[in-house]
Amino acid sequence: MEADRTAAVRTDGLVKRFGAQVAVAGIDLYVPAGSFAGLVGPNGAGKTTTLSMVTGLLRPDGGTAYVNGADVWRDPVSVKAAIGVLPEGLRLFERLSGRELLAYNGRIRGLPGAQVDARAEELLAVMDLAEAADKLVVDYSTGMRKKIGLAAALLHNPAVLFLDEPFEGVDPVSANTIREVLLRYTRSGSTVIFSSHTMELVERLCDWVSVMSRGQVVAQGTLDQVRGEQSLYDAFLGLVGAASNGEEGLSWLGSSSG
Amino acid sequence: MAWLFVRLKLRLIAGGTRGGIDKKVGLVLTVLAGIFVALLGFALLALLRLAPADVAADVLVIVFAVFALIWLIMPLFAFGLDETLDPSRLALFPLTTRQLAAGLFAASVTGVWPIASLVVLLGGVAAVARGPISVLVGLVAVLLTLAFCVVAARALTTGLSKALRSRRGRDAIALAGLGFLVVVQLPNLLVNNRLGPELFTRETLGAVAGAFRWTPPGMAAHAMASDDVVTVVPGLAAVALCVGALGWLWVVLLRRVLVTVDTTTQTSAVRRTKGGRHLGEGRVGAVAGKELKYMWRDPRYRVGWFSAVVVAVIFTLSVGDELGVLFPITLAAILLGLQAANVFGTDGRAFWINLLTFAREADVRGDLTGRQLAHALVAVPTLTVMAVVAGAVTGDVSGAVFAWLAACGVLGVTLGAGVLAATMAPYSVPERVNAFGNTAVPGQGWLPFANAFGVMFVAGALVTPVVLPAAFGLAWVAPISVLYGLAVAWGGRRLAAMVAIDRLPQILSSVSRVG
Repeated sequence: MEADRTAAVRTDGLVKRFGAQVAVAGIDLYVPAGSFAGLVGPNGAGKTTTLSMVTGLLRPDGGTAYVNGADVWRDPVSVKAAIGVLPEGLRLFERLSGRELLAYNGRIRGLPGAQVDARAEELLAVMDLAEAADKLVVDYSTGMRKKIGLAAALLHNPAVLFLDEPFEGVDPVSANTIREVLLRYTRSGSTVIFSSHTMELVERLCDWVSVMSRGQVVAQGTLDQVRGEQSLYDAFLGLVGAASNGEEGLSWLGSSSG
Repeated sequence: MAWLFVRLKLRLIAGGTRGGIDKKVGLVLTVLAGIFVALLGFALLALLRLAPADVAADVLVIVFAVFALIWLIMPLFAFGLDETLDPSRLALFPLTTRQLAAGLFAASVTGVWPIASLVVLLGGVAAVARGPISVLVGLVAVLLTLAFCVVAARALTTGLSKALRSRRGRDAIALAGLGFLVVVQLPNLLVNNRLGPELFTRETLGAVAGAFRWTPPGMAAHAMASDDVVTVVPGLAAVALCVGALGWLWVVLLRRVLVTVDTTTQTSAVRRTKGGRHLGEGRVGAVAGKELKYMWRDPRYRVGWFSAVVVAVIFTLSVGDELGVLFPITLAAILLGLQAANVFGTDGRAFWINLLTFAREADVRGDLTGRQLAHALVAVPTLTVMAVVAGAVTGDVSGAVFAWLAACGVLGVTLGAGVLAATMAPYSVPERVNAFGNTAVPGQGWLPFANAFGVMFVAGALVTPVVLPAAFGLAWVAPISVLYGLAVAWGGRRLAAMVAIDRLPQILSSVSRVG
């Protein structure tokens, strides 16, 4: 681990249980400041639960989480001002228009109204949402929702941005817009942490990768450290223990005889 | 196939109890409520045995018809479509429409409420049966009525399912619910009105029953109460025919719904408003502005507001003028204030946006101030209009002013208790299909009750020092009551913010459940 770089996000033994099921089993996540980090893992690995706990949306059962050195649950004042979040499921105020949503977001964070409106206009233009700005979010498509959600998360210029599956279900054009914005954002020294299970995307965008499986961090480091000589895809399959089991069983599949 | 669907439904009911004691309590409460309604309904109907036979028969006809009407309408409004049995979810399974219909029918009659309904209807048999053959006829009639209720309700929801799934359709249905609310209140209004004694006579009962006798459930009830084979056999046959025809219609509709796609994608832009800007720059103004937009745009809110006003007006009309202006206006104030009792719930799954900005108690307080402000901005003018109208109608101007002041105080108290309830017992309000008011998502059924009763109890206790002197005509209390209301609203949101700051994640998870 690169000790000389300060951590944008660090967790110590973070645990979350839902009933008898352990969703996150005491993980030590580490993301250096200024990195474009990918949090990868199969469905149910605990990515969303981890991101929720680190962003203060879900209380952990044990362990601590730090953002820029501040304890998320002890020092919410400094943490909440420093983060932007795009959670899973695109949960937004459905009955506001895109423009109203951005205006609302900026104002409840105490930004001056004029500044909020100016930033909102720029974001709407960059996200290619200017035309739909006055339509209700409830009528937006998936790609538009991700973009307006991202715009809302960026509006207050956070130091660390958390994105849960930002590219899932998004058309290529919108995905490209999102990618451009994020790359520009990290070039200025800010940190992006996003969860995904598209390895090609992570490989192309990220310089830091944390791999989760069954509530554990199974590998973590720079992209080259994690993937070694192979592609990230192969490294990932090896790490999460998905031995190729396509050969045994299923002998009936494909013959179309019933 | 039918048995498979029954098991699916039972599984879904059982599955709804997983993951927490509250969900188990919810199911138990639903079952208890079902048993209560079943026994009460049965007993009330059975009591008709004490009435003269012809009166019993007429009442039974009306009760059966109204019962069927409720069955027909409730799925549209109060409970939404049974989402777990939405035919479009089963569209891809290799089932014939007939199999699907049989299965859905079986699933529809499984559950607490269908069984409670059966018990209630059996009360009718207890009321009019006079011997084994009569009991047999009664049983057949009851089963046919229940089958009619289920099939008709299913056909209606299936026929409207496309409209119910579209946003605009849902918004419209939600408002139509208000019309329903008024219609349900009509008999009550008529009975309580000065015209009541003249309208409510043996003749009108006979006339109403005479009309309802031609509806299938009325026909079944009429056959039950009759000894005459000439009435019984054709009557029951006609009902059976109706059930069959509706069943056929249902299958046809089902077939059509399963093979047509939703084409509701037209959208329109909202007016660019500067709304809320004059409410101030920061959080309070933003939240208040957003709440005001939601009150207008979100059908759930709109229905809540309109029904509060409608209920208050109905109350005013039905209690007459013995109680004066004070009582209905303070009641309206309570009902309007109650709209704030689940403010986080109406944010629902979007509440995280606010939560992300709550770092200190003061942040939560600002949020709650904005919400109380928005509610007051709608409620106070509404109360003013009511007071003006009441003053004009009764001619008692000073009484109206006095009642208005007291009502504003009561509103403040209710808003204070309301935001406290919003942090202590928040619950999810379903967003999809079901657009009628504050029904809860599966498994949270008891929470809205806990919430509403909590507010009623607290607000009731706190309101007494204002309303009691006012009711005895102590006019000087009225101006003080406004200050008192403001103080309680302030205290309520302070306390609520204190409670909320430590349980934000719990609030988020209980308002984020999908219905």
